[in-house]
Amino acid sequence: MSEGSKVSTGGGKRRYAMVVDTRRCIGCMACQVACKAEYDTPLGVNRTWVPYKVVGKYPNVKKQFLPRLCNHCEDPPCVRNCPVEATFRVEDGGFVLQRYERCIGCRSCMAACPYNARFMLPSHRTYTPITNVVDKCTFCFHRVTQNLVPACVQTCIGRSRVFGDLNDPNSEVSYLVAKNATQVLRPEEGTKPHVFYIGKSAK
Amino acid sequence: MGDYVWFHDVSWHASYAVYFFVIGILAGLSFISYGSWRTPALRPLREKTAYASFVLLGLGGILLIADLSQPLRFLNILNPAYLNFTSPLAWGALNIVAFSIASIVYILALRKSDEKNGQLLALITALLALGLPIYTGFDLTVHQSRPVWNTPIMPVLFVALAIASGSAVGALLAAGNAEAQKVLREYMLWSAGAVAVMLVSIMGTTNYGGSAAELTFMIMTTGTMGLLFIGVGFLGGSVAPALMLFAPMGKSQGVVLVSALLILAGSAALRYVLLMAPQQLQTLY
Repeated sequence: MSEGSKVSTGGGKRRYAMVVDTRRCIGCMACQVACKAEYDTPLGVNRTWVPYKVVGKYPNVKKQFLPRLCNHCEDPPCVRNCPVEATFRVEDGGFVLQRYERCIGCRSCMAACPYNARFMLPSHRTYTPITNVVDKCTFCFHRVTQNLVPACVQTCIGRSRVFGDLNDPNSEVSYLVAKNATQVLRPEEGTKPHVFYIGKSAK
Repeated sequence: MGDYVWFHDVSWHASYAVYFFVIGILAGLSFISYGSWRTPALRPLREKTAYASFVLLGLGGILLIADLSQPLRFLNILNPAYLNFTSPLAWGALNIVAFSIASIVYILALRKSDEKNGQLLALITALLALGLPIYTGFDLTVHQSRPVWNTPIMPVLFVALAIASGSAVGALLAAGNAEAQKVLREYMLWSAGAVAVMLVSIMGTTNYGGSAAELTFMIMTTGTMGLLFIGVGFLGGSVAPALMLFAPMGKSQGVVLVSALLILAGSAALRYVLLMAPQQLQTLY
């Protein structure tokens, strides 16, 4: 990510968000694979991942999936804690991004993130020279600025993941957030996450 | 938290705890070097503690830089265009640099036997040294999602640990000097006592915290972590030396030296557990 990148805007500021309807997630992991393919994310680390838990009482049990990724928080602790501003928040769009060429690898941002969304890239990679720095989900900044949706959203077979501008009242994410009971992860941390979950059971 | 299991790595590894330990000792030694200007009994330690502090600063610096995954970019943290003052690491880097400069100037003054400026330089060095355990404490405190770390007592605890471990090294350096050890015994006694009280307070607030805090309390007080935290750190490294030094026999040189060794082992164990244990739970989130 080049320094000072901005999303071009035709009007007011945009605020991108993702809505994950967990009722529609079938746990196919296609989102995880699409993300790996998009970024050549190495083995052992993930920008997005899909953990599950088993709910219900035998014999009526089922897996409940909770797709995870960077929450692109409104008040991101990772940005506050980076000593060299290697991680920053794009004002228009709300993306929390990483300057690879500036990151010193102190892992402060990893320690600060309540969602474990950050990880250290290994020292050897096959196709990419970006190594030994912290990486994370970018909400597919490069795709979104080309009017595409993130790779995980594009590939989601159940349309569990929906992406869009929360500030646009006509967007699908605005509609979903307005019409459904949504939850965010660890709201008590005060980070104001921008990944909203529908049907995330507390059971 | 903990319902959906996924395994992550901890962010900071044990080498950071070694850095905390080293930085605490060097801060404590700087306090003693300044103390030697005000307390004549500590005079024989003035140069020794100043040199030892500077050597440990070099070691600490190497540890800190080597722990970065991009060690050659450590200069980025000193680049005014990059510095982010909301991060305690940025303040810490500036503190370390200022302390290094002050240490060098102070050592030069000592070598020139510059009594006139020596005391002022010792004071400046000691004040900058005070910033080191404070910033390392804040390094942990600012992480809002981590039980134990996110408590206001952490910087104060690190200052107390620095005084205890610095005085312990001072007591070992002053072996055979009864006058100096008498003063250092006082430092060790009250700082080890303060550490014990703060640990009780941390354990209390953690055990009666939310679910994440309670699970962290379990991690800290059971198994190997429990042995290190309760056994070596709390009982062996703070309660036992405080009691031994407080007892009538506490003024004997042997007890002071044994207490110093216990404090050093305890403060190393405490730093390890305080760094690692609060990270364990989140590796499963």
